[in-house]
Amino acid sequence: MFPQSGRRVNRVTILFLALITIGFIIATFDVRSEGNGVSDVLREGTQSVFTPFQKAVDWVATPVIGLVDGVANLAGLRDENERLVDRVRELEAQVRATDALEEQVAQLELINGLEVAGELSTVTARMYSGGVSPFDNVRFIDKGANDGIVVGQAVVDEDGLVGRVDLVSANDARIRLITDPVVSVGVRVQSTNETGIVTGRGDGPLRLEMFRANEPVQEGDLVVTDGSRFPPGLVVGLVAETADAEVGFVLRSTVDPAANLSEVDYVRVIVGFSAIDPSLEDASTGVTTTTSTTTTVPGDG
Amino acid sequence: MRRSRIVISLVAVIIAIVLQTTIFGSGRIEPLGVAPALVSLVIIAVAPYVESEITILLGFTAGILMDLIGSGTLGLWAMTMTIIAFIATRVSFRYKDSVWLSLAAVFVLTALGQAIYVLLGTLFGQETASEPNVASKIFLPALWNVILAYPVLWLMRVAFRTRDRSWAA
Repeated sequence: MFPQSGRRVNRVTILFLALITIGFIIATFDVRSEGNGVSDVLREGTQSVFTPFQKAVDWVATPVIGLVDGVANLAGLRDENERLVDRVRELEAQVRATDALEEQVAQLELINGLEVAGELSTVTARMYSGGVSPFDNVRFIDKGANDGIVVGQAVVDEDGLVGRVDLVSANDARIRLITDPVVSVGVRVQSTNETGIVTGRGDGPLRLEMFRANEPVQEGDLVVTDGSRFPPGLVVGLVAETADAEVGFVLRSTVDPAANLSEVDYVRVIVGFSAIDPSLEDASTGVTTTTSTTTTVPGDG
Repeated sequence: MRRSRIVISLVAVIIAIVLQTTIFGSGRIEPLGVAPALVSLVIIAVAPYVESEITILLGFTAGILMDLIGSGTLGLWAMTMTIIAFIATRVSFRYKDSVWLSLAAVFVLTALGQAIYVLLGTLFGQETASEPNVASKIFLPALWNVILAYPVLWLMRVAFRTRDRSWAA
């Protein structure tokens, strides 16, 4: 296997250098084109070839991995079950209290002639594959343009914001997680009502930057979307580090994402919200949403 | 023989990519938060059984497919896997018949591949070097690859020897 002659070594080295050059040219072209155009078409095409295999493996592997997980966690399941039963009772009591409050709010809105908050349509989808390396912060879902999904839409799970749609084919879509450095989200810190931007760092907590903050943020403060790109009020996470606001300086802190991104399985894509920035919407906007999988989540938009 | 070896190598790479993106890539099997780097492992495992040019072309093809399925800049994994394949062709005669050297090669080449990707990603503006836990993203896949090396190297050996026998017959 070791090269036998100088001529052969030369051929291998030339091939190696040629391929490295081609790779370099492709990378430069992709950076220059900012990932649009031909590269998107190639990515969609490749993904559509791999999708059937990925779905087949996912279909086989999911129950097996679930079974192994279940067996591995058997000892803790009973305790977990008892804890959850107690938690359900607590939450049922809270729901009853909330129902009463909602009724009061509705009556007050009616009396004062306020516009009632709208509801956002969502499409439930299942994640069937992820990135190809630890540096990829993407997931693929089994719903696409045929279900009304377009580029730029917010993706949430029961805990909060998961990411945004960044590539769509007819029956599948790619989600860029909020931990991706490319993803920035306009946010509002609920305790101070001041706005800022949260950006992914590739892994772990998100970077929070507030440019005109007058008040400090405290560890544990709730951070929600501000309504610029995504619907307002979606939970992004909790402030991880207390930080002071100084006049003329940017307030910097970190935010722990509310969604457990390593264990996301089912998600909802919010299809009933138009981003303020029109560049986030692609040409496939306007595809009819199927009603069979459409549910609603409360929102201000 | 050459064609069948190319087909086996390509199929192995495609299976590795599918497994990487499904079982390992979506938070299912990620010990300590990082999955193995199956594609690197397959390239290293294939290198002793196919010609150097084929190994390098296979590395480039695997890398391009990884780029197209992943979210990073196109071409970065292509360059990374080409480099790994090139080095593998240079050292494969040393680790081909030694278990310990094979494991050492798997660890070093996998970690090297991850490190090269971090470097290239940073050069092309992906901020990979400043990501939290970057060291674990370099060394943990190498460690998990060492654990997976034995079955993968064994499978490759069986696949290529089977081809040899059927060709000889």
